[in-house]
Amino acid sequence: MNKQSFLKRFISNPDFSRLLILILMFVLTAVLQRNFFAKRAIVRNIDSFTPLILMTMGQAVVIISGGLDLSVGPALSLMTCVLTSVMREGVPISGLHALVVAFAAAMAIGMVNGIGIGYLRIPPVIVTFATSFIWLGIALFLRPTPGGETVDWFQAFYRIRNVETAPAFLKAFGETIPPSLLLVLTGCLLWWIVSRTRTGRYIYAVGGNSQSAYETGINTAWVQMKACMINSAFIFLAALFFVGQNRSGDARMGDPLTLKAIAAAVVGGIALTGGRGSVFFALIGALIFSFVSKIIFFANIPNAYQTLFGGVIVIVAIAASQLYTLSSRRSGQESKLT
Amino acid sequence: MTILEARGIRKHFGGVVALDGANLTCKQGKITGLLGANGSGKSTMSKIITGVYSADAGEITYNGRAVRYHSPNEAKQAGIAMVFQNMSLVADLTVCQNIVLGAEKTRGLFLDNKAAAQLSKEIVDQLLPGLDVRRMVHELNPGEMQVVEIAKAISTNPRLLILDEPTAALEQAQVKSLFDTMRRLVSKGVAIVFTSHRLWEVMEICDEAVIFRNGRNVADLDFSREVKDPEKIVSFITGEAGKATVERTRRKENREIVLRVSNMNYGSCIRDVSFDLKRGEILGIGGLAGQGQHELMLALAGSYSGVTGEVELHGKKIRLNKPASAIRNSILLVPGDRQLEGLFLGHSVFTNLIFPKLGLKAQPLFTPEKKYRRESEKIVDTLSIVTHNLDMPVNSLSGGNQQKVVVGKWLAFDTNVLLLADPAKGVDVGAKRDLYEYIVGQVAENRMSVVLYASDNEELIEYCDRLLIMYEGRIVATMEGEEITDDAIVATSMRVR
Repeated sequence: MNKQSFLKRFISNPDFSRLLILILMFVLTAVLQRNFFAKRAIVRNIDSFTPLILMTMGQAVVIISGGLDLSVGPALSLMTCVLTSVMREGVPISGLHALVVAFAAAMAIGMVNGIGIGYLRIPPVIVTFATSFIWLGIALFLRPTPGGETVDWFQAFYRIRNVETAPAFLKAFGETIPPSLLLVLTGCLLWWIVSRTRTGRYIYAVGGNSQSAYETGINTAWVQMKACMINSAFIFLAALFFVGQNRSGDARMGDPLTLKAIAAAVVGGIALTGGRGSVFFALIGALIFSFVSKIIFFANIPNAYQTLFGGVIVIVAIAASQLYTLSSRRSGQESKLT
Repeated sequence: MTILEARGIRKHFGGVVALDGANLTCKQGKITGLLGANGSGKSTMSKIITGVYSADAGEITYNGRAVRYHSPNEAKQAGIAMVFQNMSLVADLTVCQNIVLGAEKTRGLFLDNKAAAQLSKEIVDQLLPGLDVRRMVHELNPGEMQVVEIAKAISTNPRLLILDEPTAALEQAQVKSLFDTMRRLVSKGVAIVFTSHRLWEVMEICDEAVIFRNGRNVADLDFSREVKDPEKIVSFITGEAGKATVERTRRKENREIVLRVSNMNYGSCIRDVSFDLKRGEILGIGGLAGQGQHELMLALAGSYSGVTGEVELHGKKIRLNKPASAIRNSILLVPGDRQLEGLFLGHSVFTNLIFPKLGLKAQPLFTPEKKYRRESEKIVDTLSIVTHNLDMPVNSLSGGNQQKVVVGKWLAFDTNVLLLADPAKGVDVGAKRDLYEYIVGQVAENRMSVVLYASDNEELIEYCDRLLIMYEGRIVATMEGEEITDDAIVATSMRVR
């Protein structure tokens, strides 16, 4: 393959259009937001993008495996409620207890969804719609009103310098690399590892064609369950960030993130039919999505229209990459004769 | 040495008996042909052996022990691999990932992609040199997909390999290399079961043949002792004496031109294609698989909007930018993949037959159900579609009868041009004859003209008045009458630019 055809292939790739849109959004935001390149603004932007990025990557894993998770928002809320219910203010060790209990809860959440989707073969939308109320119910039981206790060091998931007992070098480190970025990197590392194992390969196979995956001898239900549990791990990371930031749990805080994460995954090129797309491009989708809300915020669009504009821009972004794919097909660059 | 023996296998689905005491014996180092019409129980037998279905009665001995597998995976571990008729590949994985799927080697925690690529390349190179194992499966053409499918089965080092119509999607060069691979496997002691509707393939490659009709064995032929007599085999398959093809005399006289296509272009798939179609003519489109024939058929049917060039019907310029405009001009398509493009599988024969009518502009507000049922019954009669009644879901019909329904849905229309895209693919000898009998009859009465694309050269030779050979989207040769021979087709198809 010569250089030019490689370039051509690269440009005709729909992922290229996503990168273009991302760069466009980035530039627009940089123009509109004053101090965009100031350190504080950068850290703040990363902070505000982190939850959606993590939730989108998790959702992407489930969608690729052929599922869809409508319970991620309530699951996030539930995890914050569990964390803040187990922790006791002024008892540092209770923070560790909370981590263990909440992680167990996260895995349980993934397993319940996985059992419904994989083993009971209930349509994913229905299972997770139902479980979303279960998570919400438990969360409301634990924490009828927002609040709860946290230990001081839990702020390390948001701002290390706020932790009084942290050594100076850690505080300095936290100033250079914000914890939210580390959480995102943790998520990336998690998927990087998974994608290089059989599980990662099988998630694509099951989502792409579960019948033939089954006939090849893959335990499809177990793979779908694992996908749900990986999603839960991503949600868990987001929950850590939220509790670190807000120092409280809230049974309703996660709700708006559910559909945003799905939409962002689609913007990132994850096919809702399963089996197609890249989790790292889901991250890019989440970035595009986040930049859109920044742009709307900074563009002085009247409050009343902000939501409306947000919706329109997302549709335009998806349609643009769709049209791009179509037009590059037609120009015959994909000399695919089927 | 007998490696597998299936005795007295019975299987019914609902009220339909698929197998009624059928037997099959496979010997080490031998290729056994499994023949029969669609719905005669060939696929069911293969699927029972590999554990996709469980038999109602009968027993299977494998390596001298009675076995009963519950999943294809169990059978695979015992050394029985099967290439399924319907594609079992994951479209969004690469060739190599598909071949090793389920049997990935790991280095520590991570997948060993290098070993996988090497293994896949070794196998693929025997079957189709030049196929890049890193390509995504959804980018491949049907023939290449079939090759991957076969490679996947071979990669498990089976002792018994079941190939269920592996050649249906292959072009002849690919069939040749498949046969070479099969011979190599057989010489290593593998037993192979081979099914195909193309008799010459069976006669060329098989050592013995078992013929099924209505779920029973009607003949066990040993080709080392018996002569290979196609007419006898056909009579075993169909249960009646007769030829496999419909007699047709080629027409040469000059007739008026019905369809004139000039300088048609579509991306890199169709390049500068021009041809005339005369009244009452069968015009063949041939060549290697995937040279733009399929796209040409779809372009003529109005499936693409970006096609350039001129199309004239009876001397009047027409635009074919959407399927509706093609249908309005009575250019009707029988698509290649009937299950995906031609039918509403879960719906009844009746619904499928009348559906095109519902799109007509002059459609009454309320559907005249009774009248349409009468018309549908007539269609079922004309094409001798085998179905219990009009309300049977179309996917309960055998492949050949499904194909007849696809043709039947256009019967109520005046047809100018009928586009047939590989109409006999996966259709048995009997149904194929019925189908061509109807088409040849219509053409003889000048009721319509036909553009026929077939992947099997036999059909082109048998039925076409003229034949166009396509290569890389261009028409590279035109043959007429007696010039149309297998040698000529192969020679012009393989032409190197």
